[in-house]
Amino acid sequence: MKKDIAIVGVGGQGTLFAANVLCQYAMARGHQVLGTETIGAAQRGGSVISHMRISDQPIYSPLIPKHRADVLLGLEALELLRNVKVLNPGGFYILNRFCVPTVYSNLGIDRYPSMEEIVTALKRVVKKGYEIPATQKAAELGNAQMTNVVMLGALTKIDDFFEYSDIRKLVEEMSPPKFLKNNMACFEAGYSLL
Amino acid sequence: MAEQKYIMGNYAITRGAVEAGVRVVAGYPGTPATEILEGFTEYPHVHAQWSNNEKVALEVATGASLANVRSMAVMKHNGANVCTDMLMHLNFTGVSGGMVLVSADDPGGLSSQNEEDSRILVHTYANLPVFDPSNALEAKQMVKEAYELSEKTQMCFVLRPVMRVCHSRSDIPFEDCLEPEAAARWEDDRERYIMSAVEVRQMGGIKRPQARHRWLNQKYREIVDIFEESPFNHIEPGDGNTGLIGCGMGYTYVKEAARDFDRTYPVMKLNTLPVPERKVLSFIQGKMRVIVFEEIEPVVENLIKQLCNDHHLQVEVLGRSGFYASDGELTAQVVSDTVRRADPELRLRNEVPDIPLGIDVPVRTRTQCVGCAHRAMLYSVKRVARKYKGIVFGDIGCHDAGSFKPLELQSTIYCMGSSIPMATGAHFAGEKRPVFSIIGDSTFFHMGVNGLINAAYQNARQVIVLADNGTTAMTGFQPHAGSGVNLQGQPAHKVDIKGLGESLGVHVHTVDPYDLESTRETLGKAVEEDGVSLVVVSAPCLLTASRKGEQPFEKRRVEVDGEKCTGCMVCVNEFGCPALVFDAGGEKVHVDELSCVQCGLCAQVCLQGAIS
Repeated sequence: MKKDIAIVGVGGQGTLFAANVLCQYAMARGHQVLGTETIGAAQRGGSVISHMRISDQPIYSPLIPKHRADVLLGLEALELLRNVKVLNPGGFYILNRFCVPTVYSNLGIDRYPSMEEIVTALKRVVKKGYEIPATQKAAELGNAQMTNVVMLGALTKIDDFFEYSDIRKLVEEMSPPKFLKNNMACFEAGYSLL
Repeated sequence: MAEQKYIMGNYAITRGAVEAGVRVVAGYPGTPATEILEGFTEYPHVHAQWSNNEKVALEVATGASLANVRSMAVMKHNGANVCTDMLMHLNFTGVSGGMVLVSADDPGGLSSQNEEDSRILVHTYANLPVFDPSNALEAKQMVKEAYELSEKTQMCFVLRPVMRVCHSRSDIPFEDCLEPEAAARWEDDRERYIMSAVEVRQMGGIKRPQARHRWLNQKYREIVDIFEESPFNHIEPGDGNTGLIGCGMGYTYVKEAARDFDRTYPVMKLNTLPVPERKVLSFIQGKMRVIVFEEIEPVVENLIKQLCNDHHLQVEVLGRSGFYASDGELTAQVVSDTVRRADPELRLRNEVPDIPLGIDVPVRTRTQCVGCAHRAMLYSVKRVARKYKGIVFGDIGCHDAGSFKPLELQSTIYCMGSSIPMATGAHFAGEKRPVFSIIGDSTFFHMGVNGLINAAYQNARQVIVLADNGTTAMTGFQPHAGSGVNLQGQPAHKVDIKGLGESLGVHVHTVDPYDLESTRETLGKAVEEDGVSLVVVSAPCLLTASRKGEQPFEKRRVEVDGEKCTGCMVCVNEFGCPALVFDAGGEKVHVDELSCVQCGLCAQVCLQGAIS
């Protein structure tokens, strides 16, 4: 058994929390887990990626090699596109329909592609993908910062490896008290979006 | 069985030191090393401190070691540069209590101002032994081994974890801790601890520096022998006349890539410096070529080439020096591409063809957070600097992103504390334009204060903008001498920056960056002043304030009046808040409600009165 998961987004979107929940889950099920993440300067609005490797075999590198990931969660559309090559041809992505313009696109130097163009390019590379308005849903439920939890809810709907009730319980345990209620609402909303 | 915990690699290093009975730890924050020191707050019996810079930290750790307790100094590669002078003395004196220096490297420069290999400084230059861990568990074992060997050999040992070790997360066993000895036990040893040009009577009157150099060279040979038996180096048999050598993280990529190889190459894991020469010779003898995979510089590759030369071996040694990329982070992909190039007969299993995306993916540069006081400060400095045609010298910290687009304010970003002296130099070069420097508070206490004292002493006319947010924000909000608390969160003396400036005889001003108009006025006044002006721009880091439930500004919901917005782009080009989005189609700006934190700064920036 092996499951390689990458979570990508823009610094500050909460990829670390989501990665932590999934790692705790895999460990509780007795698998080996190795991960790595972006910390430091890049966290300030830059591109960020968390790698999580779950396996029953020894895991050597914390970085998922190109074309080896089974799951790719994109908390931001352009960042998902940037990292889609990490997916294996049989893997899948979940795209949060949410764009954070880049400094260069805002200045008119680069063009930020339209959502349609992004999805077309993704489909060219990977067959299986899902799209949800996770940030919009999180904002409706109280705070766009809970996008990561909506994404986790959606993941449990698609991939049987991630048991809904077990992951829900971990989100509950790992949420800071003041976010607990909203996080649970977001998790359930994410599950219902797909 | 030992309890297992799923933790970050840095905390595994912390734990290793605690299990080894470390007593004193000092460091300065720097990604990817920061969390190692933070981890000691879990172990109150260990004295752990954020020193104001790495040289101080290394000296604190050395003092503790000489007092016969186990100690550790923690930093990133740039920090190891800062403490080079001390390093080049403590290598000659040796230590007493076990001592470990951790210098973490950042291949690819993901969170650093340069890409640099610590091993050159600590091993090639200072001749200290180095452990280069392949993963977090090994890093922990190496720390424990390093303390044993340090006391056995009197040498300070170095751990060089790369970012993927520091910021990995894995299951780590927690074993029993050695009880640190109850009390320090200082014993004078002037033959070692007095590094001065004095004649050594027992050695025929040669000077002490030469005597200690001789000692260091002997120690180095001794450690080569010790590492012949080290558990951190081993050989895995394989077929053919090509051998793969993996060092530290490089070993993991070799093993990862090898899963897809249709043949088994002999592999050597080589995680110590100096390298165990007999073991390396036994691996390379009879081979046509070996390929060395190591992070950043060809350190091991060059040592093996030298070994081949000394032993007249005709083995091709390939690696970082040009056979594969001499810059950037290694990956399993780099390993398989490289091995395939060296051995065209290699076939890969599970090869997936690259399908082009058919679309350009624009780069994403980092910036300040939405609502950050630095953006307000940078905007104000830019307006004043432009009015006076000033040159702005930058320094390290979150505000350094003001040197990127869209602001492009600072003309230089070098090392910690370089801004004020560089401005001083430009001034004395006869530059007619006024010179400014921007430096954060943590950087100021690190090394910037020296530049300020010098500028004041030389009366080097300039405006120094001290961005005082009360924390070391970039590395994750570590306290410093101006924070009022220590690493453990206990109250600590807070440097009075204003009083310090006044004691140096410079003009001192303090402003609130969220008040753009008064900041601009103050900066304008400072430019007109003779001599050195220190403008202390004070507002807490928004992220630390938010965590405490505080707001450094009065919340204000803003929206753009589409009628009044002329699409002049001042708010995007000159201010650059990521929550302000330019709609290319409509030629207007709108506020992205999902990212806006309601700081209200853009309403002060808009020249058309369109944002309110």
